[in-house]
Amino acid sequence: MTDREQEMMERYIYQVTRRLPGDQRKETALELQELIGDMMEEKEMSVEEVLTKLGDPALLAERYQDITHCLIGPEYYDIYLWFVKVVLLCSAIPVLIAEIADIIRGEGAAYEFAGQANTVVSVIYGIVSVVPEVLTAGLTAFGAVTLVFVIMERQKVKLEKKQERAWQVSDLGEPAKRKRTGWTPGELTPVPDPKARISRGDCIVEIVFTVIFCVLLIFAPHFFSAVCREGEKVVFIPIFNLEQWKVVLPLFVLCLFVGLADNVVRLAVGIYGKAVLISSLICNGISLVLAVILLKVLPFWNPDFGKELAGYAGRKEEALRFLTRWDGSTASDILLAVILFAILLDVGTVVYKTLRYGKL
Amino acid sequence: MGDEKDLLAGLVLELRRGTLVLSVLSQMAEEKYGYALVQSLEKKGVEIDPNTLYPLLRRLEKQGLLESRWDTGGSKPRKYYRRTAVGTEIYLELKKQWRQMAGGMDALMEEDEG
Repeated sequence: MTDREQEMMERYIYQVTRRLPGDQRKETALELQELIGDMMEEKEMSVEEVLTKLGDPALLAERYQDITHCLIGPEYYDIYLWFVKVVLLCSAIPVLIAEIADIIRGEGAAYEFAGQANTVVSVIYGIVSVVPEVLTAGLTAFGAVTLVFVIMERQKVKLEKKQERAWQVSDLGEPAKRKRTGWTPGELTPVPDPKARISRGDCIVEIVFTVIFCVLLIFAPHFFSAVCREGEKVVFIPIFNLEQWKVVLPLFVLCLFVGLADNVVRLAVGIYGKAVLISSLICNGISLVLAVILLKVLPFWNPDFGKELAGYAGRKEEALRFLTRWDGSTASDILLAVILFAILLDVGTVVYKTLRYGKL
Repeated sequence: MGDEKDLLAGLVLELRRGTLVLSVLSQMAEEKYGYALVQSLEKKGVEIDPNTLYPLLRRLEKQGLLESRWDTGGSKPRKYYRRTAVGTEIYLELKKQWRQMAGGMDALMEEDEG
């Protein structure tokens, strides 16, 4: 073998082995040296012909590795697709709403500045800025979900390999009689009562709306405002206490996330039973406690809401009387009552359905 | 027309792939190095690309069906493979399965030929 042939061979071998795990490189290199040498001698082929016959080094390296070359395998693919849809909805819609809220605010500002000419400009500007924002949010969500599933896929592959190894140690010498522990019909659970099934659609709707609400609270709290017109001017009076928002927001979001977690459990389990019942009791309990803290302890409401709004209410006596009596604690009490009612209704439904149709 | 050819080539490849392990195991009662195996298979009308065979040998070794040793005595180091006891056991079982399958397939084809 001439120096040039040697050089070509070494280049080829390097291109194969650099794609292999470290512990396989040396042996594979030796094997390929042997093979290429043999092929050249026995068939009297040039090194180019031999390497052409062996083909793309990347493909050869792939054959040496018995790993699955897919990002997300068939086992996870369906649920992955489904997740992507939900998460895309959860990310794109709130961003869209928040951006539109911003445009409306921008319109208000434009009114203040120079009247209608600027309105058009600010709306166009807003629309132009919405598209990339929504795209970015969607792509980020897509990427995050994909990453999680890729990790799951890889972990699963690893788990399977570990099982194989564990078995080989305990049962040395007879890999032929390896027992397959696959799926058996014994794993089939009885078909649940149709009434015990939890509607996926309901869960998704709740999840999507919770996330939308969360995103709005975080990124566009001014969305929750009363809008008043004073002549050409548009004024926003926030309902929440935005000055203390840093204190209120974390707890508010946590409260919503507890509800979200409950819905995720329902979605995952799919039928009324012990798991859903426990999750419902715990999550609703936590939600209630958080709601009480939020509404009764923290500065939740904008204290000047009534006063500010009254300034724009015009001359309607009744409205004025109502607004000057605006009081955060009354609002809190009413809202708490509504929340308590909702929680009781939810827990009641779960308990009833679990006892009646589900399995404990 | 080109599509049909590709389809056929793909199907033939698939058919052949299933027989690879059996072909290799059948030749490994005695020690052989990789390229000698390529040639002995070729002589008997079974073609296998070296770029498929070498990774396959490695896999069969990992699965415990073959064992290998490096011979550094000759002009260049060579890796020799042979069947293990387990490999022989599997080979015999596979052979039985193959005969049964081939018989069944023959019967199917004959029936079709009328």
